[in-house]
Amino acid sequence: MSLKVGGAEIIGVVLPGDEILQFNPDVNKERICIGPGLRWEDNVVRATKPGILKKTTKKLYYVDTHQKRYIPQRREFVIGIVLKKKGDYYTIDIGGSEQATISYLSFENASKKTRKEMKPGDLIFGQLLVANKDMEPEMVCIDTYDRAVGMGSLPEGGIMFNVSLHVARLIVNPENPFLLNISKKVQYAIVTGFNGRVWVKAKKQSDMVAIMNCILMLEVMTLKEANDNVFKVFESFSRHGLK
Amino acid sequence: MAKHACQLNFLSRSDGSALYSIGNTVALASVNGPGEVKKSNRHYNRSHLEVCYSPSTGQSMIGERTLESVILHTVEQVILVHLHPRTATNVTIQEMQSDGLALSTSVNATCLALLDAGVQMKSPFAAVTCCLTPSGTIIIEPTEAELKESEALATFVFDGQALNVLSAHQEGCLDSENFYACLRKCQTAAKDVLNFYRRIMEEKYSSDKSYN
Repeated sequence: MSLKVGGAEIIGVVLPGDEILQFNPDVNKERICIGPGLRWEDNVVRATKPGILKKTTKKLYYVDTHQKRYIPQRREFVIGIVLKKKGDYYTIDIGGSEQATISYLSFENASKKTRKEMKPGDLIFGQLLVANKDMEPEMVCIDTYDRAVGMGSLPEGGIMFNVSLHVARLIVNPENPFLLNISKKVQYAIVTGFNGRVWVKAKKQSDMVAIMNCILMLEVMTLKEANDNVFKVFESFSRHGLK
Repeated sequence: MAKHACQLNFLSRSDGSALYSIGNTVALASVNGPGEVKKSNRHYNRSHLEVCYSPSTGQSMIGERTLESVILHTVEQVILVHLHPRTATNVTIQEMQSDGLALSTSVNATCLALLDAGVQMKSPFAAVTCCLTPSGTIIIEPTEAELKESEALATFVFDGQALNVLSAHQEGCLDSENFYACLRKCQTAAKDVLNFYRRIMEEKYSSDKSYN
């Protein structure tokens, strides 16, 4: 079965150890790219994770897995929790196996004199500059041109909750029909990290909880089912509000 | 062969979990990791593995330690530990109901919990238990009552690629002829178990195939 959605072709469900294709760089001149969940060993590409094997138009193969544990990857956007200040650095919990660090200078308009002050428990949204298996991850809140482009510490008054990583990847797109459907009901701001943390802010506390419940529905439902249920969730919340 | 059944993601808070049953034996496995590790268990080149088996009643004794070590040695061969240095991966198994197949049920539960968690592995693995009756017949996946009557019992764990033996556990005496007969029978049964895994995983990802 092959289905084309969103630029990636779905090949099928694979289990670890399944042979995806034979690839010998001496014979096969056409290059392929191997994404997450695949390994190339003895001229054979095999899966290492269970999930859905996908292929993009640029011959990139990868396995889309349902996972709860975050493994830091370079360039990914994550939401971190400030743990403590350590000299010129803050230690940040990003949900990985190790704590990440961020320099107080890697914020927009920060200098040695106007340093960024944060206290333990603050949330920050940033990008991983360094993330590999042998090194401690490092976060930054600026891009290569020293601009914030939406990164930085998250304002007070929002709520943060955890979802599975595949749900986070699903709602990272602001044009997502599900998020647009919620926005018909209530005005809100949402920040999604690839580490499965989602931060939501709306005017009313009950609206934020309703949005949270809507997003948590995606854990057990398909996008379409969840879309149909958004109305019900909001209705139940407004009914409780009247009491 | 006894009936296999499985429910994935049974525990909401662990990274991966599976409730697995073979016949009347039920085990619940939960996997956490690769995550934070104690300093004493930190390896510079590999993930630290830990298996903990808790019986349905009473304290964990020497018998449970045997199960733990068999499972640990199996899992060690399969997980790609070198991909996550300075981390720990924990497997916890809770015996829910016992009917003689504690080892094979917990090994299979562990495998599905690992698949549910998305831990990087070389291949899945499947355990099959069989016993030899005094009359010389081999029963695949016997019940507790059948085990009491039998002369010997053997459990084999096979990998998913070439059905190679990852570990073997035996109680009682088996001559080489019977041992190989048991091995071959278990190997055939393991294929069904692996097909069962595939069905479970396809079910898990079935909703994703049609969307996004």
